[in-house]
Amino acid sequence: MEEQKQNAAIVSLLTQNQSALRLYVESLMPGDPHCDDVAQDTNTIIWEKRNDFEIGTNFKAWAFSIARFQVRKYRFKQAKDARLVFCDELEEIIAEEMSNHLQDLSEHHIALQACLKSLKPSDRDLIHHRYFKKTPLKEYAAKMGRSIGGLKVTLHRIRNRLLLCVERRIALAKEAQV
Amino acid sequence: MTLNDRDPLIDDLIEGSISEADFFKLEAEMRVSSEARQAYYSRLKLTDSLRSESGLLFEEESDQTVSAWPGKFSVLAGIAAVFAVAFISAFGLKSSLEVRTSDIAAAEPIATGYAVLAEHSEAVWVNQPNLNRGDLVPQGPLQMESGLARLELFSGVTIILEGKAEFEINSPMEMSVLHGKIRALVPTAAHGFRVLTTSGDVVDLGTEFALNVTPEHADMHVLDGEIEWHPKGEQKQHLSNGQSLRWTATGNPESVAFEPSQFTGLADFEQRFVSQRLQRRQAWSDNAAVLGNDTRMIAYYPIHQSNEWGRQLLDSSQSGLNGTVVSARNDADRWGQSGSALNFSPAGSRVRVSIPGEHRSVTFYCWARIDSLDRMYNSLFLTDGHELNEPHWQIMNDGRLFFSVKRRDAVPGSGKDKHIAYSPPMWDPSQSGKWLQIATVYNVDEQTTTHFVNGEVISQDRITDEYIVDTVRIGAASIGNWNEPTRGDPNFALRNLNGAIDEFAIFSGSLSASEIAELYEKGRP
Repeated sequence: MEEQKQNAAIVSLLTQNQSALRLYVESLMPGDPHCDDVAQDTNTIIWEKRNDFEIGTNFKAWAFSIARFQVRKYRFKQAKDARLVFCDELEEIIAEEMSNHLQDLSEHHIALQACLKSLKPSDRDLIHHRYFKKTPLKEYAAKMGRSIGGLKVTLHRIRNRLLLCVERRIALAKEAQV
Repeated sequence: MTLNDRDPLIDDLIEGSISEADFFKLEAEMRVSSEARQAYYSRLKLTDSLRSESGLLFEEESDQTVSAWPGKFSVLAGIAAVFAVAFISAFGLKSSLEVRTSDIAAAEPIATGYAVLAEHSEAVWVNQPNLNRGDLVPQGPLQMESGLARLELFSGVTIILEGKAEFEINSPMEMSVLHGKIRALVPTAAHGFRVLTTSGDVVDLGTEFALNVTPEHADMHVLDGEIEWHPKGEQKQHLSNGQSLRWTATGNPESVAFEPSQFTGLADFEQRFVSQRLQRRQAWSDNAAVLGNDTRMIAYYPIHQSNEWGRQLLDSSQSGLNGTVVSARNDADRWGQSGSALNFSPAGSRVRVSIPGEHRSVTFYCWARIDSLDRMYNSLFLTDGHELNEPHWQIMNDGRLFFSVKRRDAVPGSGKDKHIAYSPPMWDPSQSGKWLQIATVYNVDEQTTTHFVNGEVISQDRITDEYIVDTVRIGAASIGNWNEPTRGDPNFALRNLNGAIDEFAIFSGSLSASEIAELYEKGRP
């Protein structure tokens, strides 16, 4: 019974923190296509070590320390063809700061939903292809008769606009004291 | 490095398309500049949200593509699957394991069907344990073991169905009956409505007919108007008012007595279910009187207790904390009794209450009909503003329940001011207009927040020592709205519930799962 309770708690915590965990891993290895694999390995290790976790203590901190270790392990394996990796000093800072950044992701998602609606149709289409359908930029550029460079600039501008909008909405929500 | 130089590099970094030279340039900047790192975190978060939210942009595509468990999280999915069984038995948790909230939000459901189960009387369905009054009739073959059901097709056709029956609704203008007794009322607009059987098709030309389909034969009785019978491989026949016909499975006509009384009519049906429903309402009402005397009750508003639609809402607990109705209009309660519920959709609607005292654990409980969730926050119960130790209970626009008790003032950099317990989405537009029992238990001793819908646990959150509040205060508050509409953005300012509430209670202490299940059983319409 006790074990079941522990398992239940771990699965629930793991589920709640899935987005944050994935994002934490990505922050340490941006642009690396293996982020998902490392996040998945982290899930496995967390599960294997579940009995080490003391319910009521900070799950996120515990999970992130495991994730960080997994990122290093991945690096070590990839050492031969490792290309662009943050230096240790910067990685240390990011690991520390990022954990404070991963609260209220759902607020962020909700704000973004509203902001996406305010984009003009062609921008929405671009975002949809880039992030949902994952159409390669080259393919989309050919389809739309645009240059890759031009699309990148457009994407960058859309991101800027969305960031401002999301920040504004979250600030308003905070002011309104949920 | 200027912002204009820096941010495009950050985007390239995140997208994996940064050049080596740019990488070192950016790395050097990020080592010294906290601002650059903040920009990196923000853009990373944005990219992550975009991946999960962009599916919502074009909903017709998202329903096919999005699954609650993306393949990349298969290990976690496996873990959840293995333990799901253990969980359900241990905690009664159901859906909370299976969802990552952001994914569910992306998988916006689309209502499908051609008919609504308008009413039933002890209907027992095969393989459809949750089919209930107000639900869309599922597509595909259906079996009703016993009982009576009234279906309303979107064409306006009303079907009364008696178990045992096997049938399928093919379209608003067509159904198949393999087996069973039906009575069909067809309005002018739906003339041409067709019932397919194994031995032939009935096409309605008039207003009311009945069918009894068995493996041996199909019997037709025309109660009013006219039908056409199209037997397989034979000439069609007309039948009108007061006529009946039996067609055997072997394809031969036989005479059968005109006996419409063997089919339950609309009037009989209504009478049967109305009396059942009134009995249930009476039983609930008796129970509500007992509930009002529960010593844990802080305030209790069974809404039929209002003083004849004066603007006062009477508290049936012993505390006498009557509420004041603002703007909300009266509505039918969950048994269909008019004037016994409050509808909060008119702008500004709310019930103002003032609830003194300090409590340890608390339980919030109501029966609500949600018509839509068009606000970012849709209120069930919110204290004015949001002061320390005060609870907020509401529904997010994606259908998640929200419950929090404010622990401390928000100070930038010191983390959250409260723990918010979200449930998985418990409402989607296909449930519009249905009455739901919603309850949330804030248990200080066990440090949990548990959300319930219709008597079942839908999620449980653990609250860490840091966020637990052992003295809950309420004070001035509103049911169905929030008292401080703030400036600027209407999405944030408007929080009235687009729907109705016909029973609302606040208990001091935590009700157990079995108590909430019992309240559901006693209170369900």
